[in-house]
Amino acid sequence: MTNQTKSQFIAVASITSELSAVMVVAKEISLAAANAKAIAFRAGDKAKGFQPITDFINELAKETIELVTNINIYALVLYRLTVDEFQKTTAYNKFELAAKMAGDAVYAKSMQEPVDQAKLSMQDCQRQFKRDVSQLLGQLEAVMHHARAARVIAANSRIEASQAGEYLQSLQAVAESVDKAAHTIHDNVQRCRIALSIYRNS
Amino acid sequence: MKTTKIYEGSHQWIMFGRDEGKPSNIIDTNQYVVRTANRCLLLDPGGAELFAPMMAAVLHHAPVDQITDLFASHQDPDVISSLGLWDQALTNAKLHAPAVWEGFLRHYSCESIEYVPIPDNGGTIKLESVELQLIPAHYLHSSGNFHVYDPQAKILMSGDVGAALEGPDTPVFVDNFAAHVEKMRYWHQRWMPSNQAKRVWIERVRNLDIDILAPQHGRMFKGDDVKRFLDWFDALQVGIAV
Repeated sequence: MTNQTKSQFIAVASITSELSAVMVVAKEISLAAANAKAIAFRAGDKAKGFQPITDFINELAKETIELVTNINIYALVLYRLTVDEFQKTTAYNKFELAAKMAGDAVYAKSMQEPVDQAKLSMQDCQRQFKRDVSQLLGQLEAVMHHARAARVIAANSRIEASQAGEYLQSLQAVAESVDKAAHTIHDNVQRCRIALSIYRNS
Repeated sequence: MKTTKIYEGSHQWIMFGRDEGKPSNIIDTNQYVVRTANRCLLLDPGGAELFAPMMAAVLHHAPVDQITDLFASHQDPDVISSLGLWDQALTNAKLHAPAVWEGFLRHYSCESIEYVPIPDNGGTIKLESVELQLIPAHYLHSSGNFHVYDPQAKILMSGDVGAALEGPDTPVFVDNFAAHVEKMRYWHQRWMPSNQAKRVWIERVRNLDIDILAPQHGRMFKGDDVKRFLDWFDALQVGIAV
């Protein structure tokens, strides 16, 4: 296996592991939103500005979870394509070697068609891989967009929390946890994007 | 890859083996080809590492589009791990292999090649006017296992039965049976699990008219050495690992 193929396998496989962490964190945001809703309800008018924020955070968390679920399914397709590409590249290399070793064999020329077909198949796979990587990068960008939105909401939440009197600390803790989670999601997804983006144009 | 024609008549049997480029840490194997006017059958075509030299050697005898049939005696990687490569190279071929191993052999990738499952009691492969018999050899060593008998050429391709592991410069035929015995002994005692299976096989094979016994490893047996082998194997206690 070439180094290129190995790093392709690793890049694609790493998405699944990075995204499983994102999934955990997205679920934590959902939980934080539920907590915040309960606190805001208890705080009543003191946290009136906070209440719609909690729904928004919850919605954002759900969308992130849905996006990540779809990305995981797509990443599996991409992984299978990587395996396919590896097999087709191996076949092409072996067919070329067989043709070379056949030398002046009576039927050596009959090997040309399998060589040509294998090359076409290999190139098809490579093109499909690049297309799928672009698509996956788009999906990852959507998750990062949600994470950025969550950080903005967290900042707003801190402002609203400062108006909540004795509920200040609880609500600020919620805002903090949302911000931290969004930051983690952003970083994990960014790593996936960096790992994959070299294959978009290679 | 050394090529030896072992039968020439209305069709040919060719043995391929002793590949000089073979990595030293993989087991040496014999591959056989039955060539008729317009078709070619590869018997135990070999591992993935052997694909390129094997294909190159076959191209001296047949074009790719006339390689119409593959046979796998059993599921071992040295027999058939090249299947995924043959699957991509051959546009119109069949694989004749034990029915019990179909779900396993498909792990080597078998999408365009048609899998023709061989039932436990055997069958035949028809190659134009040549009819080859598929002789059950279960538990010698694989639990789903067949040998190939050509009544016209009087050749029995015997898979792992009769095998010996020797160096790359080994002659293709046994020339001194007594000396050869020690090269086979441990292989058969350790790899063949069942004395009962061995006896059933010997009884079956003694009814066949065999000029050449052609195993998947080591030297072939011809003439009187075939009977010497059967007698020796009959007396040997196998299954020594339990």
